[in-house]
Amino acid sequence: MMKKLVFTTALLGATGVACAAEFKVPQFETTRLPNGLTVMLMERHEVPLIAVRAVVKAGAVNDGPQAGLANLTGDAILLGSEKHSKSAIDEAFDFRGAQLAGGSATEQTTVQANFAKNDAAALLPLFAEIVQQPSFEATELDKLKTRKVSGLKQAKESPRQVAGTYYRSMLYGDAPYASPPGGTVNSLSALKRGDVQGFHQRYFRPDNAAVIVVGDFDPAAMRKQIETLFGQWKADGPPPQRADYGKPLADKPRVWLVNKPDAIETTFVIGGPGIARNDADYVPLQVLNTVLGGRFTSWLNDELRVNSGLTYGANSAFAPLAQSGLFSMSSFTASAKTEAALDLALKTYNRLWGTGNGGGIDKATLDSAKAYVKGQFPPRFETSEQLASLLGDMYALGVDRAQIDNFMRDVDGLTPVKAKQLVDKHFPRNNLQMVLVGKADDIRKVAAKYGEVTELDISADGFKPAGK
Amino acid sequence: MKWKFAAAIAGYVLASSAHAAFTADQVKTFTLANGMKFIVLESSTIPNANMYTFWKVGSRNEAPGTTGLSHFFEHMMFNGSKHYGPKMFDRTMEAAGGSNNAYTSSDVTVYQDWFPATSLETIFKLESDRIAHLTIDPKMVESERGVVLSERSTGLENSNVRMLMEDLNSVAFSAHPYSWPVIGFESDIKAWTQQDLVNYFRTYYAPNNAVSVIVGDVKADQVKTLATKYFGAIPKRAVPPAVKTVEPEQKGERRLFVAKPSATSANLMVAYKVPRADSPDYYALNVLQSVLTEGKTSRLYKALVEKQLATSVGADATDGFDPGLLYVFAVAASGVDGAKVEKALLDEIDNVVKNGISEQELQAVKNKKLVNLYRAQETINGKAQQLGNYETFFGDWRKLFAAPAEYEKLTAADIQAVAARYLKKSQRTVGMLAAKEE
Repeated sequence: MMKKLVFTTALLGATGVACAAEFKVPQFETTRLPNGLTVMLMERHEVPLIAVRAVVKAGAVNDGPQAGLANLTGDAILLGSEKHSKSAIDEAFDFRGAQLAGGSATEQTTVQANFAKNDAAALLPLFAEIVQQPSFEATELDKLKTRKVSGLKQAKESPRQVAGTYYRSMLYGDAPYASPPGGTVNSLSALKRGDVQGFHQRYFRPDNAAVIVVGDFDPAAMRKQIETLFGQWKADGPPPQRADYGKPLADKPRVWLVNKPDAIETTFVIGGPGIARNDADYVPLQVLNTVLGGRFTSWLNDELRVNSGLTYGANSAFAPLAQSGLFSMSSFTASAKTEAALDLALKTYNRLWGTGNGGGIDKATLDSAKAYVKGQFPPRFETSEQLASLLGDMYALGVDRAQIDNFMRDVDGLTPVKAKQLVDKHFPRNNLQMVLVGKADDIRKVAAKYGEVTELDISADGFKPAGK
Repeated sequence: MKWKFAAAIAGYVLASSAHAAFTADQVKTFTLANGMKFIVLESSTIPNANMYTFWKVGSRNEAPGTTGLSHFFEHMMFNGSKHYGPKMFDRTMEAAGGSNNAYTSSDVTVYQDWFPATSLETIFKLESDRIAHLTIDPKMVESERGVVLSERSTGLENSNVRMLMEDLNSVAFSAHPYSWPVIGFESDIKAWTQQDLVNYFRTYYAPNNAVSVIVGDVKADQVKTLATKYFGAIPKRAVPPAVKTVEPEQKGERRLFVAKPSATSANLMVAYKVPRADSPDYYALNVLQSVLTEGKTSRLYKALVEKQLATSVGADATDGFDPGLLYVFAVAASGVDGAKVEKALLDEIDNVVKNGISEQELQAVKNKKLVNLYRAQETINGKAQQLGNYETFFGDWRKLFAAPAEYEKLTAADIQAVAARYLKKSQRTVGMLAAKEE
């Protein structure tokens, strides 16, 4: 039992840097092999571990009508290579205490491993094989698919796990950004081995990928080994191009009421359009969001938890994607207190635009938030895994390293006047969108107060209303 | 939207003498005249530091009527002291660039502060003021009740494992306080009195009942100076009363069922009685737990997940001052009967009891322990948690450095022996959660 919900404000995703005075991305080298593969190497010698990841520029936005395809492919990579069976791979990694994981997010698919320095010679070749020549063995693929379908059903037992997926689906409508990264029970069930092979062939190619190594190694030797293992990888035809993945829709206030008949509380998400990952105002907005809902003493947590005891935690966040993004406030409360909590969240949110006592962000509050984000920044850059993730985001999402290198400067440069301008520019004020997951019979009337209501059944397939 | 509950790190055990990120001679300790102990490790990889304070008080120190009090008290420790009124602990810490959290288990309450190393003195001021001069404001107590009730209900709403474990504990223990949930029963949460809280503070929050671990970009001398200045004058108090209840021997298998209408598949949890953390069998049991569930080549992963009976398997054993439980759990795959998962799981456990494990499996676990050690020691938080856990549950932080040898000397026969000793039908409680009872 914890004192508080731990907020993942994800200042810069999973990122890292050292040293308060400097706050620069630690030194690393980037090279491009003749076949187009980007290779990034960063040395760290704190512990004898190595973090490796292959990052491919493809994700749920590339699923098209086959929601969950990128995700299934990312996981299916681990099912063995042309030379080694799944059990041989599992045995090789597991015996050495190594971790091996695949995965896919909205705009990137990753294969990652983490192992002792001395095991690099044994494990890197296997890692290279599964990335370049996965077998997608039929029986194993079926098993994985079945397990993932069960997992999708189980996720809906926990409103916290799915509220955000409904919210994104609501805001992005039919655009690629609306596609649920894990897919839906029906979409995933329909995927075939050929679909997975096709996805791999289209996107897993050296000119659309990076191999990142962070940790305790000799750079010259590692560079050579990566060249040997990935240098023969070939790309066919022109590389995939990025399309328009969509903008959030918020033309009128809307409420999606997701019915979970045995719910004892209402889980809610409120918000609207946010910013893209590389927005010039990204860093100062993290500071402003800290004031609103990014830390324990934030306005939202103070009002909804500390002053009123309505909830165990309330927060807010910008969720940026490469091309656009969302802003949201979220919390939960006992079903009977739904209206009180929603009204208080909205009232608190409006303080951003208030004037006089209690309105707007004053200098003392801003100074505190600035100190907070700076103080909490270095631990996000502590492990090789975190740094590998940062380099991956820089590659796949085009995150500019200047955003990290200038973090301190951009935080320090924020004034109350500039804060007000940024609030007006970026926090959605009208036409707020709302997702409520709870017992519909108890909160239907409340929901109607906030906009045009669409009812959904949590046990129905997917994350949008039937027929949409 | 992302949510995360920080998990209490269960038992990051093991260490390697030669290759660990730090060695015993880098650890400095001192004890104030009032009995409060400090463990300090200088580590300058990031310009930050942490302070983890372990108090030997948890739900095992409660009684019917006051269940959940330790955890509730953990919340009240943030609600005002002499020099820092309500809200000021968090406001002061965050303005100094710091953040904090705390957790309560059945055995301990641990307060965690994370901050830029330059804010060390502020942290000492805040932490010492609430130990020396906590004010327990009745108004704060009332609003905090709502928070804890929400914490309780959101845990039950979002986690089948939590719901199942809570009920399972009440069946596995008939007398010992491990029987009730750490967060407490709803009626008790609503019923604590002002006096209950005052008594609790006086009894358990004595400096001689705590150990504080500080790891980061600090100097041990500086920590000692500040500790003496801010904590030195807090009076020592009587040792808290011992927990006297000894759980009677379990005489046979126990079972329970929990209904949750929205469950899409069965959740199974089997818990076995195991000894306290500092038992000589600790390391062998820890290896056994890994053999069963850690990684894709573990016994239960192969028998349940690879065979499509379950979507996930896991195990957990909380370090405790008294004999507790080793939990093994699995979530059934869609459409698979819970009873079938249970049979497969118990068959596999019986198999280990009867036939033991291979040398290959043993070596794999030893390798895992070593790499996991590196992973834990890659962060200042991992180091603080390890040092604090060893000092609290094993009586001496130095035992962290003896752990590698403890693992290394284990044989496959040792693992089979503890399996036979503890994974017995008569010593288990089997819990199932599903949409409806068959």
